[in-house]
Amino acid sequence: MRAVRDVSFSIEAGSTFGLLGPNGAGKTTTMRMIVGIYMPDGGSIAWKSAPIDGRIRRRFGYLPEERGLYGRMKVREQIAFFGRLHGLVEPDVTTRTQRWIDNLELNEYVDRPCAELSKGNQQKVQIACAAVHNPELLVLDEPFTGLDPVNADMLLATLRGLKQNDTTLVLSSHQMWQLEQLCDRFCIITNGENRASGTLAQLRAVWTTRVIRIEPGGEAVRRVLQSVAGAHPLASDDGALLYEVPANTELPSILRDLVAVESVTRFEAIEPSLHDIYVRTIEGAA
Amino acid sequence: MNDFITVYSAEIMRRLRSRIFIVGILIGAIGIAALIKLPALMDSVATQANRIEIAGDPALVSQAGPLLRKDYHVIRALPGKTTILPSDLSDAKNVSAIILLRRSGHSMNVVVYARDPGNISVSSLRRDLLPISLQIATGLSRADLSSAMKLPVAMRAINSKFGTAAQANDARIIAYIMLFSLYILIMINSQLIMSSVAEEKTSRIAEMLVASVNPSALLSGKIAASATLAIVQMIIWIGVGFLFGAHPGAPPALEAADSARATTFSLSSVSSADLAGFAAFFLLGYLQVSTMFAAVGSLVNRTEDLGALAGPLVIPVVAAFLIAMTALAAPNTPVVIITSFVPLIAPFVMFARIVVSDVPAWQVMLSLAINIAATWAIAVLAGKIYRVGMLLYGRPPKLAQIWSVIRS
Repeated sequence: MRAVRDVSFSIEAGSTFGLLGPNGAGKTTTMRMIVGIYMPDGGSIAWKSAPIDGRIRRRFGYLPEERGLYGRMKVREQIAFFGRLHGLVEPDVTTRTQRWIDNLELNEYVDRPCAELSKGNQQKVQIACAAVHNPELLVLDEPFTGLDPVNADMLLATLRGLKQNDTTLVLSSHQMWQLEQLCDRFCIITNGENRASGTLAQLRAVWTTRVIRIEPGGEAVRRVLQSVAGAHPLASDDGALLYEVPANTELPSILRDLVAVESVTRFEAIEPSLHDIYVRTIEGAA
Repeated sequence: MNDFITVYSAEIMRRLRSRIFIVGILIGAIGIAALIKLPALMDSVATQANRIEIAGDPALVSQAGPLLRKDYHVIRALPGKTTILPSDLSDAKNVSAIILLRRSGHSMNVVVYARDPGNISVSSLRRDLLPISLQIATGLSRADLSSAMKLPVAMRAINSKFGTAAQANDARIIAYIMLFSLYILIMINSQLIMSSVAEEKTSRIAEMLVASVNPSALLSGKIAASATLAIVQMIIWIGVGFLFGAHPGAPPALEAADSARATTFSLSSVSSADLAGFAAFFLLGYLQVSTMFAAVGSLVNRTEDLGALAGPLVIPVVAAFLIAMTALAAPNTPVVIITSFVPLIAPFVMFARIVVSDVPAWQVMLSLAINIAATWAIAVLAGKIYRVGMLLYGRPPKLAQIWSVIRS
């Protein structure tokens, strides 16, 4: 079975890249290929124009979807162990380990075996293990899964901090709003193929329709909107009128027509959210 | 190379901090000391069972005392006492038997009154008292008889690396200790590596590890670290063995050697070439077995499955140990010679042959060459299995799948 086929994208150094797709789309396989766990049987992956070898890979960090730690190893030792695996030596190992313990508020647990920690705290330890060596590229597969809202916010803030430090981030998540807040560019893949990629603005630009919201939604307004070519109503549960119109529709002229027939208090063109784009892309691929 | 050193040093630190490692060394050292001292302890128990009194004809009693002391602890001589009653034995709580010696014409009568007849060996009594019996039967003087019984036997070693029987025995004891250490170290550490690999897989940490370092470096670093620590363990254990069992320099005088033979040996019987051979074959054996165990460890999805998979891997190691034991006694039989070239078995058997016999240099070199090649081949295959196995979850792979991975 071929997990990924012709997926191609580029990531600007220091940016944050969101990899989206339904379960089984090929996100994890793609991430595993980036960090060198799997070797692609075709195509190539490069970092700063150079093929990725062992030396480059040590400057990467990876948080897999499947969580795992040495259960009997203490939190501090575990983070330091991964630091050493990525080539850190003393005193950097100790300093950076402590910094991540502070960042993720793990001080209370540093001398406890990881197996004794809650799932959320284990995940925080694993994030520290992936990032302790201050990687140039940090690949995070579903990093928010299993975190409570407070810890999810903490992780979001941590990832923003890494972004400010010019760490390139690649992450996947089913929490679209978190990705929308964090990522500069996206790639939506399904069935192992690249369906859409680019910035949110670029993804929106190829979106073929727009949604407009009008209040109040009287009969005269409805008649005007029905006269717009390609427009069709959408369900609304708050009394406002929602219409989907072709993206190339002249919205100012519609607004002028509406104002002429009724006292309109609100006219809003709603940009498609990442969630909308994702759902439509996946449905289109199905 | 950097990956290898990183994994190697990280793994060494991880294992050194593990309580299991420290406890393992201590238990092993205690076990070896106990094994060496066990014969002495058994002897002391046997001595208690061999406490005797000698009674009967005064002349016979005075002659028999020194002769019986070779095998028995003579508590008391009772010259002139010719009748033994059950109460005599009951009253003497620390005596297991009373030997009654009587002269009857040209022969001697011996009656043993024993608390437990199993503790007194009739054959050793016959052997010890034979000079007195012969003296009575032949009428020879004690000096003539003693001279006649000291049959001079000269040992001339032909095609042997040992000058004396004592040296050969010492070499066997040392080889036994080293083979036993080799066996224990390989078995314990290989299974530790297998458990460690399986733990990394089942705890799902493997994915982070193989993303951090090259899987081949990960596997080789783990095995090399484990081998290093096994060598440390072995040095400690062998040191303990020598501390408790060796007497330095030349073998002791014959009389002393007779009594000390079971518990001590001379270091001079093992040459530095033997030790080099041990180191080389230890390393090869260790790498071959532990690499196989690590590869198999990467295939399990549950640590509970380890036992079932480890079973078939243990068989060649046990077979090698048993053949090596045979080799200590008969180093030049065809089976021993052939198996001293076979990978997995040779590290044990060739080492045993080297210590107890003069193995032609070409055979040692050929065995080394075959086993180095085999170690490399096993490492390549194991690396392929490990790389795929570590990330293979779900149903255990079928043999056909493993074969396709090896061929790829």
